[in-house]
Amino acid sequence: MISNRGRIVGAVEIGTGKISVLVGEIARGRALNIIGVGLAQSHGVMKGEVVDYKAACEATHHALEMAEKKAGVRLDEVWLAQTGAHVDGFANEASVNVQSADNTVTLLDIERVCGLAQQKELPAGRSRIHAIRRPFRLDGRAVNDPEHLTGSRLDVGYWMVHGQESKISDNIHVVGGYHLEVRELVLSSLASGSLMTSADERNQGALVLDIGRGVTDYILYRDGHVAATGVLAVGGDHLTNDLSIGLRVTPTQAEMLKLRHGRATVQTKDKTDKVWLNGDMSFGDRQIPRHAIEAIASARVQEIFEIVMKQLGPRFSPAHCGAGVVLTGGTAKLPGLDEAASRAFGLPARRGEPPSWVKEDLRDPMFSTVLGIYQFGLRAAHDHPAPARRKTGLLSGLSKIFS
Amino acid sequence: MSEGSQSLDMDRSWRDIRQDVSSRAMSARGRQRQLMGWFNGCLLCAVIGTAAWGIYTVVHTWETDRAAVASAVRSEPVRHVTLRNPGGVLDEAWVRTQLALPRNATLMGLDLEVLRSRLLANGQVRNVTLIREFPDRLAVNLEERTPVVRAQALDAAGNSIHLLVARDGVIYEGHGYEAKLLAGLPWLAGVTLQRSGGRFVPVPGMETVNALLTAAQLQAPHLYSKWISVSIERLASHGELVVSSQDAAEIIFSGRLEFLVQLAQLDYIIDTTRAALPEPGLAFVNLALGGPGGQVPIRLAAGTPEELARLAEDAEPNPLLPSKFQRKNQRDL
Repeated sequence: MISNRGRIVGAVEIGTGKISVLVGEIARGRALNIIGVGLAQSHGVMKGEVVDYKAACEATHHALEMAEKKAGVRLDEVWLAQTGAHVDGFANEASVNVQSADNTVTLLDIERVCGLAQQKELPAGRSRIHAIRRPFRLDGRAVNDPEHLTGSRLDVGYWMVHGQESKISDNIHVVGGYHLEVRELVLSSLASGSLMTSADERNQGALVLDIGRGVTDYILYRDGHVAATGVLAVGGDHLTNDLSIGLRVTPTQAEMLKLRHGRATVQTKDKTDKVWLNGDMSFGDRQIPRHAIEAIASARVQEIFEIVMKQLGPRFSPAHCGAGVVLTGGTAKLPGLDEAASRAFGLPARRGEPPSWVKEDLRDPMFSTVLGIYQFGLRAAHDHPAPARRKTGLLSGLSKIFS
Repeated sequence: MSEGSQSLDMDRSWRDIRQDVSSRAMSARGRQRQLMGWFNGCLLCAVIGTAAWGIYTVVHTWETDRAAVASAVRSEPVRHVTLRNPGGVLDEAWVRTQLALPRNATLMGLDLEVLRSRLLANGQVRNVTLIREFPDRLAVNLEERTPVVRAQALDAAGNSIHLLVARDGVIYEGHGYEAKLLAGLPWLAGVTLQRSGGRFVPVPGMETVNALLTAAQLQAPHLYSKWISVSIERLASHGELVVSSQDAAEIIFSGRLEFLVQLAQLDYIIDTTRAALPEPGLAFVNLALGGPGGQVPIRLAAGTPEELARLAEDAEPNPLLPSKFQRKNQRDL
């Protein structure tokens, strides 16, 4: 929606634990002002995927309505975060010989090599979410823009992110059920990574882990570009589940234990140190060894990090990750997580801090994805301006009203 | 892609996914938004359609029958002139005369600025607003001036004419006032009325005159009723107003002192003098000297030395003045 003040765009994250909606006003394509927030407990979503359409719609639409009311505007388009274990990525490269007689790279060469690099066939039922370009290489040297440079061979690589079409479609239709158009689909890890790292950190190399309730999204930056992304179907809920089974308590009690006494590393040496299960002196309340809680939680956290390492494979190397590991997402609030990550990856690790423009009430790590959607969208719009202008005529406006 | 085929999709993007959701799959909130969208769309279409039809009609009529457009613009003839004049004396007949509307004048054909200037040409009208009330009514909201004093002047033929002067110094002839009201107003003296562009130039200093007369009307109506004229001859130079009254031929008020106190002093002096002396009593009283409690010079119209001595002895304290001023007044008398 184009208003007198600026473009109004919503950002939506349909997560396993909560559904977040922000309403942002984008002025002059660069300045962002968050004017509405909607938050609802998630229903019908497991591990980042919609499993109950009606329940997911109800929760999402509630959050959307709340955000619209707070902002005092009607949303017409949103940018939607996409996650889920079905989301995968691969690198694809292509190379062409420079065609001009004097070996000067032309726009035609660039378009040809980019086209070839994006032409990787996807398995049936998969849809492309992003095609993220890496730096060009002209006769082996990395260049940002090869046009007018001289060389004989031009290479480029793309990190292709794709997901199962039916699951992406479910996600989009949940928003569509509110009579809203999804204008952009943004991979959750790209959103979080954009918000939590600076350009310098991305140039140094950084690994961003967004540990949510149902899934863990990760993104690896090398030389300022995306080297790998991925999603694990493991999150904070698994810690709760482990505690529930290991300590023989209900999931609700396990969640409370995780929040009150959980820790990603084993710090308690004294095995007789115990904590009350409920703490309200009620029937059934009993004492649980603190050491056991920490041991169970730390084991699961360690496992998450190991899976990430395994999935990254040779793409991850501490030598190329100078900025270290950045942790975000709701589970990043677990004490000792940075210490555990540092041990697992052999790199300095820290909890991500959002940029200074983020207001105090949105600085919680659980908002990193939904805020990052804007950050990524604005950066992408700035780095790669839209090739063609949007239709702004009367007929276009009318069709938009009826759409 | 054919069903069951294992062939690979070359460039299938999420943007190829249809975002349309059937009404059944929408939530109640979504359906409500959709309906609102349709409603807004229809409303917009209706507005655009109406505007387009209006423009087409006007253009078409203009091209085919200009007289119809012109007559539509002229609208209805003025059938009613409504005067709203709270607290005023001018009536609708006077307004109609001043407006001098031509017969069959239409509401849209009226030049309201010209009509307004016609009404404002009369000094009695302080402000006026003219409003077209469709289909056939002209509303006149009028605000009048209130006369403070009367004045006399000569017209072009050398005949004497009676005029009224308002608080802001504007001089006008005055219509619709009761004769009794006008007879009660004192005359303005000590000033030569001047004309400019066929109208009298406003008299300066009338604010001070109005303050004195208003105080006298409210606080000492028995004195005011005997006032014959007020002169502003010494106002600019000495800040003094000279009142001619049946009680005293010349009473001088200071514009720099409280009129209320001066009126109290005058009342006291007149009462005391009247009790001690037979008519005609006072000839001159100067209240501008000394201020409250100061010496008030007076001159008697007549009286023997014995009567004057008795007057001084009979003088009683003025209840309106502080005690120290009362003693001084008694001694002065």
